[in-house]
Amino acid sequence: MRTSLAWLSLFLVPFVLHNDVALAILVFTFILGILAVSFNLIFGYTGQLSMFHAAAFGIAAYATDLSMSRLDVSFWVGAIIAIIVVIALSLVVGTICFRFRLREFYFAIVTLAFSEMTRLVILNWNSFTNGSLGINLTTTPTIWLPGGVVPVAGTRMWYYLSLVSLLSVVFVCTRVVQSWMGRCLAAIRLNDELAETLGINVFLYKLISFLIGNAGAAIAGALYAFYLGYIEPAYLSIEQSLAIVAMALLGGRETVAGPVIGAFILTALPHVISLSAELRVLLYGAILICTILLLPRGISGLIARPRYVS
Amino acid sequence: MFLEVTGLTKRFGGLVAVSKLSFGIVRHEILGIFGPNGSGKTTLLNLIAGITVPSEGRLMWKQQLINGKPPHEIAALGIVKTFQNPQLFAELSVTEHVLIAAHLKLKREFGLRRIATLMRPAHHEASLDDRVERVLALCRLDGVCDQPAASLSYGNEKMLGVAMALMCDPELLLLDEPATGLDHEETLNLVDVLRDLRNHGTTLCIIDHKVGFLGSLADRAIAVHHGSKIAEGPPASVLNESAVIEAYLGHRHA
Repeated sequence: MRTSLAWLSLFLVPFVLHNDVALAILVFTFILGILAVSFNLIFGYTGQLSMFHAAAFGIAAYATDLSMSRLDVSFWVGAIIAIIVVIALSLVVGTICFRFRLREFYFAIVTLAFSEMTRLVILNWNSFTNGSLGINLTTTPTIWLPGGVVPVAGTRMWYYLSLVSLLSVVFVCTRVVQSWMGRCLAAIRLNDELAETLGINVFLYKLISFLIGNAGAAIAGALYAFYLGYIEPAYLSIEQSLAIVAMALLGGRETVAGPVIGAFILTALPHVISLSAELRVLLYGAILICTILLLPRGISGLIARPRYVS
Repeated sequence: MFLEVTGLTKRFGGLVAVSKLSFGIVRHEILGIFGPNGSGKTTLLNLIAGITVPSEGRLMWKQQLINGKPPHEIAALGIVKTFQNPQLFAELSVTEHVLIAAHLKLKREFGLRRIATLMRPAHHEASLDDRVERVLALCRLDGVCDQPAASLSYGNEKMLGVAMALMCDPELLLLDEPATGLDHEETLNLVDVLRDLRNHGTTLCIIDHKVGFLGSLADRAIAVHHGSKIAEGPPASVLNESAVIEAYLGHRHA
């Protein structure tokens, strides 16, 4: 109930807050929130530290734009194609990793290698992706409103589009986590050998969580690219992967929406405190270390009860 | 024959843990497997449950070859194993453990319709609550059902392992030293639970070196030493056989 009210109140923010920069920070928070929430399904709930999340994010950004320009389809069709592409690739990566029962460190390293591989392909496939120069996006998504088809223009429209997208992703993740499937994921996270002897197909449920999570990253990728208006290979960088991990740890991995808080802090901080890039990275590091040492359950852990899976 | 084991062998490098072992399990019986520490009993159960892959030999379950199948498939076929050292999901409560173990039950009942229940989670839980309560009461865990597993006594941890296995509705239940670490009272309760299970149609295969506990419970026994079978028959006669006594005690007292 309290959380529903908190979410509802977010719909009212643009009526109170007229500062475009502040609203833009919230748009970025929501889009990166989608990224962090979907990552946390794989990391916080299934216990698999995936470093493929930034790759799914970046691939979707490219796939949306490329299918729009090459196949001449709308943003939404492009985004659906991007989600399908990401799911197909995740199916390959996930099957390889989980069939070989890669765990913890090994899983992180192998997914990181796949992530770097896709980044290098995108970086060097100049004719298709424009390489390191990236792609400037000139179009904007359109949405259907009772008045007709309108382009998503202006921070306010983006605010609502990203908020609704975030809510949908949080809703799906909450349903998964609070169901019998969430119990399977918890079982796998805590003791996969025992889960297996109780009849849980560990391979299958790890893969399902990996696919749902990466599909979430794909949604974030499509939105982020078109809000920013620019795509570059850095979307798939290790730094991006680490930023996602930091959001989840900072916000708290024991709740579905906790990582959104992490996304907010990491997005808002550079605007609140103006520091040189080097000092900012130092500050991020310090914040992350302090969180892990002092608040292992993250910021949402301060208010949420200890995890209850069902 | 319910389960038929033929020429089962497991080698770990140069060590032969189980060597050309053959025996059968009949439906509705309680089979006891005796043997001193390190005789290959746990490896044997792990082989049947699919946790370890046999080097040689055949495992036939209801006329179906189950060698090399992954543990979750074997569990789905009706063979469930408990662990000697309790394996639990430390931070979850006792009730949650049993709910996780209801996975196969839900899968059998709902099949792919489970996917539809994701959107309305409370739907199928009601049918579970009843069953969860009964299993917890049977294993005398109803008093601690909201406690995290990490805070349980050793005896309760072991009973939780049994409770989870019961929730899977096994046809063949493999128990790895279920009575070790239980006090007298708890052992008596365990014997009650296991007899009750057998009367309701579950077949049991129990490993233990507590001779008194298993000797009184089992219908039939085999004794294992150095991975090979050294005796088979009614528990009393197996335990009296000189090869068995020698395996346990060295050699017969004067």
